Amino acid sequence: MPPKVIPVPKTDARAYNPNRRAGLLLQAQAVHLREALIKHVHELTTLINVDLKSLKSEGDISAYIHGATALLHTHAARPAKK
Amino acid sequence: MSAGLDNLKHIVVLMMENRSFDHLLGGLMKKYPRINGLTGNESNPDTTGAIVAVQQKAEFQSQLDPDPDHHFPGVDLQIFGGQPQGPGRVANMQGFVKDYFSQTKDVGRSHNIMYYFDPNNLPVITTLATEYAVFNGWFSAIPGPTICNRAFAHYGTSFGQVGMDIFYILDNSIASIYERMIQGGGTAKIYYYDQQSSTMEIVNLLKNQPQIFATFDQFLGDCSGNTLPDYSFIEPCYNDHPGADGGQILASDQHPDHNVREGERFIGTVYNAIRTNPNLWPNTALLLVYDEHGGIYDHVVPPACTPDGYTASADATGTGAPFAFDRLGVRVPAVLISPWIARGTIVPGTESPNPQIYEHSAIPGTVTQFFLKGDAKRTIREQKSNNFLNLLTDTMRSDDDCVVFNNLS
Repeated sequence: MPPKVIPVPKTDARAYNPNRRAGLLLQAQAVHLREALIKHVHELTTLINVDLKSLKSEGDISAYIHGATALLHTHAARPAKK
Repeated sequence: MSAGLDNLKHIVVLMMENRSFDHLLGGLMKKYPRINGLTGNESNPDTTGAIVAVQQKAEFQSQLDPDPDHHFPGVDLQIFGGQPQGPGRVANMQGFVKDYFSQTKDVGRSHNIMYYFDPNNLPVITTLATEYAVFNGWFSAIPGPTICNRAFAHYGTSFGQVGMDIFYILDNSIASIYERMIQGGGTAKIYYYDQQSSTMEIVNLLKNQPQIFATFDQFLGDCSGNTLPDYSFIEPCYNDHPGADGGQILASDQHPDHNVREGERFIGTVYNAIRTNPNLWPNTALLLVYDEHGGIYDHVVPPACTPDGYTASADATGTGAPFAFDRLGVRVPAVLISPWIARGTIVPGTESPNPQIYEHSAIPGTVTQFFLKGDAKRTIREQKSNNFLNLLTDTMRSDDDCVVFNNLS
């Protein structure tokens, strides 16, 4: 015997309203993302401002590469499947 | 350990937005008397002193605009009815209409906060609530807004926050449940709807650990491809926006004043993705829960709880009094879904002499306990939380005994 099937009504086509005034929750989301971007920019700027000529050893260079790769990878990362 | 637990491989949590238990499920009590819903006699005074009874007149959209207040001072008014701060005041759930009037400035419209749904208009959540396990006593973690409540679902604490500040992580020794899972050799994902909707409150994780994020389309793909992580947390769509193909994407979070029916369809889609995969259905538990009540009426007084170890200052609460995280927020709908749950399971709440009280800390608490055998630092509230997986039984219901939704595409 097949399982009981419950039909789900469609949403009213007039429900869509991208012009709806944004609530506090969405405003907070934008603030949080902006703050995260600011921190991101700060980290980027710090690395960009490093004088590359000051990096003498493999340890110096690897630390720089580590920082740059981590930032670029995070920036470029796309949600990936498991 | 039950056979249901023996077979469990995946826990999926879908957290919706801002609806109280009574608003969505209170109408079920007429047919199911053990569900602690509404008799129809519950009421609140309005600002004229008139008594406003609950009414089964909730609509999918347009009744709750402006968005009902659910910040800490507003929820304090809703719970205590405007009694002044101080020892001896008693929670009475009598301030919802008064608080909504402060926003609507319209006595008639302030009554909308007492409206609840006809169960026939919510075929998805009411079916799931009556076919599986509904919690009479699942409360939001604190009497406040979204961010701090969702923090409890991710970390088991809000680190002392009672507001909307995302940068709440003050104690790096407490890892998110996702980090715990990965560090413990497990898998975990946060599925947000799409990049226009994104994730609501954990941008620090989005920035530092993008590998734990994926979109809802990927959740559907992971279900059909049998690649679902051990633990999944799903976020609905938080705003109306154009789709990639120029179509219309509706908010499905049910946050007022978003369309409740669209949220129903989203819940049904999540359920079907698990239910219709025979490789997934027998070994997955789906928890549907709401982050907080959104300022909408519920008749059950939130109980006291184990203090969190933090104290929010009087300035932070906005009530003139500090808050020691020793009382839960307003009750929210919560349903646990699995074929290992007997139809019509009702988890008793405060109406019972043997209540089983839940709040959002139970999510990381239960996930940590099950997958990591408790082998990760858990917060005080997690340690004190009830384990919702105890509801899984030794008997798996047959395939034809578990409903399916259709007409969702």
